[in-house]
Amino acid sequence: MITPAATPSGAVTTRPRQRFRQLRRHPEVIVGLAVIVTWFLLALFAPILAPFEPLEQNIQQRLQPPGETHRLGTDELGRDVLSRVLYGGRITIPAGLAVVVINSIIGWLAGAVAGFVGGLWDEIMMRIAELFMAFPTIILAMAITAALGPEIRNAVLALVIVRWTNYARLTRGLIIEAKTKEYVEAARSLGAKSPYLLFRTLLPNSVAPVVVYGSLDIGNAILLFAGLSFLGLGPEPSSPEWGRMISIGIHFFDQWWMWLFPGLSIASLVMAFNFIGDGLRDMLDPRTRH
Amino acid sequence: MPLYRYILRRVLFSIPLVLGITVVAFLIANAVPADPINANLPQSALNNEQLVAAFREKWGLDQPLHVQYFTYLGNLLRGDMGVSIRTGKPVLEDIRQFLPATMELATSAIVVGLLLGIGFGIVSAVWRSSPVDYLVRVFALIGVSFPVFLLALIGLSVLHAQLGWVAGPGRLSFLVTRPPEVTGLYTIDSLLAGQWSTLRDAASHLVLPSLVLGLYVSGIIARITRSSLLEVLNTDYIRTARAKGQLEVYIVLRHGLSNALIPVVTLLGVLYGNLLAGAVLTEAIFAWPGIGRYAYRAATSQDFPAIMGVSMLIALIYVIANFVVDLLYFLIDPRIRYS
Amino acid sequence: MNQKLAAPAQASRNLILGALILLVGLGFGQVKAEEVIVLGHAEITEAYDPAHAFNPTSGMVNRVAYDTLVTFPDADASSIEPLLAESWSISDDGLVYTFHLRDDATFTNGDPLTAQDVVFSFNRLKHVRAQPSFLTDPIASIDALDERTVAITVTGPRPSFLAELANTAFSVTNASVVGANGGTDAEDAAETDTAQAYLNQTSAGTGAYVLQGWEPQDRTVLVRNPDYWGEQPFFDRVIIVNIPEAATQRVALVSGNIDLATDLTPDQVVALEGNDDIGIYLGPGRWTHFLLMNRDPGVGGPVSDPLVARAVRYALDYEGYRELWAGSVTPGSNMWIGLAGAYGQDEAMQRDLELARELLAEAGYPDGFEITLQYPDMTWAGVSTSTNAQKIQADLAEVGIAVRLLPGEVQVALEGYRSGEQGFAYWFWGPDKLDPVDFLEFLPGGKVAGERARWTEDGVDQSVMELIAQANEETDPDARMEIFAQLQDFAQEHSAFAPFNVPAVQTAFRAEIEGYVWHPQWGLDLALLSRAQ
Repeated sequence: MITPAATPSGAVTTRPRQRFRQLRRHPEVIVGLAVIVTWFLLALFAPILAPFEPLEQNIQQRLQPPGETHRLGTDELGRDVLSRVLYGGRITIPAGLAVVVINSIIGWLAGAVAGFVGGLWDEIMMRIAELFMAFPTIILAMAITAALGPEIRNAVLALVIVRWTNYARLTRGLIIEAKTKEYVEAARSLGAKSPYLLFRTLLPNSVAPVVVYGSLDIGNAILLFAGLSFLGLGPEPSSPEWGRMISIGIHFFDQWWMWLFPGLSIASLVMAFNFIGDGLRDMLDPRTRH
Repeated sequence: MPLYRYILRRVLFSIPLVLGITVVAFLIANAVPADPINANLPQSALNNEQLVAAFREKWGLDQPLHVQYFTYLGNLLRGDMGVSIRTGKPVLEDIRQFLPATMELATSAIVVGLLLGIGFGIVSAVWRSSPVDYLVRVFALIGVSFPVFLLALIGLSVLHAQLGWVAGPGRLSFLVTRPPEVTGLYTIDSLLAGQWSTLRDAASHLVLPSLVLGLYVSGIIARITRSSLLEVLNTDYIRTARAKGQLEVYIVLRHGLSNALIPVVTLLGVLYGNLLAGAVLTEAIFAWPGIGRYAYRAATSQDFPAIMGVSMLIALIYVIANFVVDLLYFLIDPRIRYS
Repeated sequence: MNQKLAAPAQASRNLILGALILLVGLGFGQVKAEEVIVLGHAEITEAYDPAHAFNPTSGMVNRVAYDTLVTFPDADASSIEPLLAESWSISDDGLVYTFHLRDDATFTNGDPLTAQDVVFSFNRLKHVRAQPSFLTDPIASIDALDERTVAITVTGPRPSFLAELANTAFSVTNASVVGANGGTDAEDAAETDTAQAYLNQTSAGTGAYVLQGWEPQDRTVLVRNPDYWGEQPFFDRVIIVNIPEAATQRVALVSGNIDLATDLTPDQVVALEGNDDIGIYLGPGRWTHFLLMNRDPGVGGPVSDPLVARAVRYALDYEGYRELWAGSVTPGSNMWIGLAGAYGQDEAMQRDLELARELLAEAGYPDGFEITLQYPDMTWAGVSTSTNAQKIQADLAEVGIAVRLLPGEVQVALEGYRSGEQGFAYWFWGPDKLDPVDFLEFLPGGKVAGERARWTEDGVDQSVMELIAQANEETDPDARMEIFAQLQDFAQEHSAFAPFNVPAVQTAFRAEIEGYVWHPQWGLDLALLSRAQ
């Protein structure tokens, strides 16, 4: 898992050509991007690509290993695993995205206010953030989902509630750092008013890092969502969600195709996000450069 | 700042946090569910007016919310976290029963994680940009990217079901009787009692879950060790040592590692969170009777007293652990004393 | 050096010690390793106290931890056999049953069995008002005529009464031991009886085994009762390990970690057939899987409409479930297929999507509706409720009913079911009474119909109610068959339930395990098992 401390906090200042050269030294970023784009496309065109309906049952064809008709085999109700894996992306990817997007908006707002206003506000906001950090993410998310009822929306909501603090802390740090920068001092001494400062200088400076952090965090959000789903606290049982599909594996670990393929789907996607994260970190962090 | 003042300040800072934790726990257990009585009493007790009345009185449910909270806090201070709906026993008693299993798993997992993580981190940093480095980085990526439940299933189906090298779910084989309880950790207890076959069995059951969980955290540790070691190895001080002609191995272990491990220690907090998240899933799959599984079962059966009890306990451990880490820092790093 | 010298001395000491132990052992007549059997089982019970326990696991355990007055033969319910009562008589008006207790039966603590114990046990069962208490409904009074004679007066003629008494809920407990541990048979026992905690951990019966401990969701241990009045069972110790996942049970069985697995899936059992180390039992099962459609419109919503309930019965793909669970059959009603006169597969409903759609349109739902299906999330006797629920969802989707699945933890789901708060639910039922009257539970006036589906006598044709009353009392076998046939016809058209499958019983065990007999009442009789030497 990536912590705010480990993400690039400085904005990217290198020129495009340099960046491209750097990118060439980090093929994993390209690979990661390619995998992610592939998954997005697979999910987007799942209705066209999938050979079967994801919910279509065929009892006679149940528990078939991968073969001619069913490339990745069938599950306990004779549903086509390939089709379900393809459709699964349509649930897991948007869920991960939603968690991160809402997280960053809420966290960014809270952090920006705390960092900019400072004083008591800052203190309160950070105490609340600390409070949420103290609770174990997964258990708190489990409790909230259980209270609201197992549904995709509620699982996303639970993850939003327990995960916004990372973003708040990151944004707050950036704002406080930016406040001490010379150009802000200069603007202030020229008579710029606070709201103007906030909107014209500080916020844009904090948006880019939050976006970068957020895009790398999608992998983690997907893992957590799949975890909740695996525990039965996400989409309903027949849903072709990846975590859900894997959870059936407990009952069918001899029929490896039922759980291995959705599992590898999650793993490849999360790995791709981490590839990019690693590459970016290397590119942006001068300390680990040659 | 003298030590006692630092401790005092730190304790004072922790108090609002601890109170805040109880507020959140209280709100989720009492305010989120539509009817706290429904959420906190088994259905069979709902028809019993005496029980319902007693529950109302005990938790002050007729009072306004803030009064309810103080009642809750009062009960909590007396060690009363309520009664689990699912098990029918006091939550504290349940936690006491299930905590040792988690401690055993978490400890062995962190040992696996540290050994693998630091080992791989060193190898990767020393042979930077070599195929070995590349392999280790891929390994670390797998560690952080593979869902822990996928690793668990692969482990179960290959190492247990197919090859039969290690034991499967549970803490002991069905026929093995538990060692006499001293610590609650079966490996330690069987060792103390000199029951070697029990020890072997308990260890065999521990291998797979702690490997899976250890693998999960080792990825993070390997990455941090690698990057911080690289940083240290680039410093003048190491260059000097190299120039002096000291052995590379000696340099890395003696000078490099001791400095490079500081970030690993600071990240123990994050690791701890990951370990717990992983433990919930690992325990659920391996039928490991720890608090992770207890919390999971509590969540799926809407057992709010239990789940909030566990959350609160873990949050408190987190606060205490952070306190200890800060204290260690205070003692190690002189800069903090003057800040 | 010292070590070397010490070794022979140590060895000879061990030898002497061993010889001594051997001699002591011989002194007691036998030198035999303890015989232990380990069962892998998906536990479903909330208690072992016979007055509270009313679940399959407790049925199996209490079958051997306690005895009832009368019982069935080992494998079926074809006759009533004596157990604690060596004989009995029924008064001419069919209202008074007089039981004569055997004089050699003792409780596990050595107390002799008396008529007072029977009175205490049955009154306690009645007054704790727990799950199985309804079984005492037909009882008007229980009296101890002397030390070894009990008279039970029933409220009306009840041909099924002896079969009902064979239920483990009517286990006879030691009155003084239970009393000393908080038990009472007073009328306010529901509030004042506190013996459940005690009886969940140990048994106070006359059975072949003694409950030695229970760790919920983990394991149950039984040890042989050396003073059992009846035939001694083979195993000294029975360990029932909770293994909820069928896949884990299979691995544990094949690797020899457990001796017997009660919850393998039909697929797994078929795959094990070639394995010489494994024995298999396959037979008709006792669990009728069914849908419940609450008649209370506030709870059931659209499915409270009898037309919709009927449509649902026509929409289910019965053949598909048979395909899914090898060896299963489709029941013709909620009357267990093993009972005399029960409608079997030939008389069962057939899927008719056209008719289902017509009925839905007639009920005012031409485009279907949305509804939540609640069910306990578990694998029971190798049948995954989750798999069935997903098939139900797919079946009903074909007639436009959009089902949202809401699985729940067994205990939580059970509470909702028992309090009648589930609108549309999927459950399974094993007969409490091995007699056709068990089916009356699913008809107006019955417990399941009234309390769980809120299908009451209101608005039900008077002739049907009369038929139900007759069913309870009719003694002539042919007339009884006729009555139950009419009631099953009625249910197929009007019922608030949709029974859809009775899976086979499939148990797999290590090949050296002998004596496996399956019974439709208590399932497995642990006392009959043995291990080939």
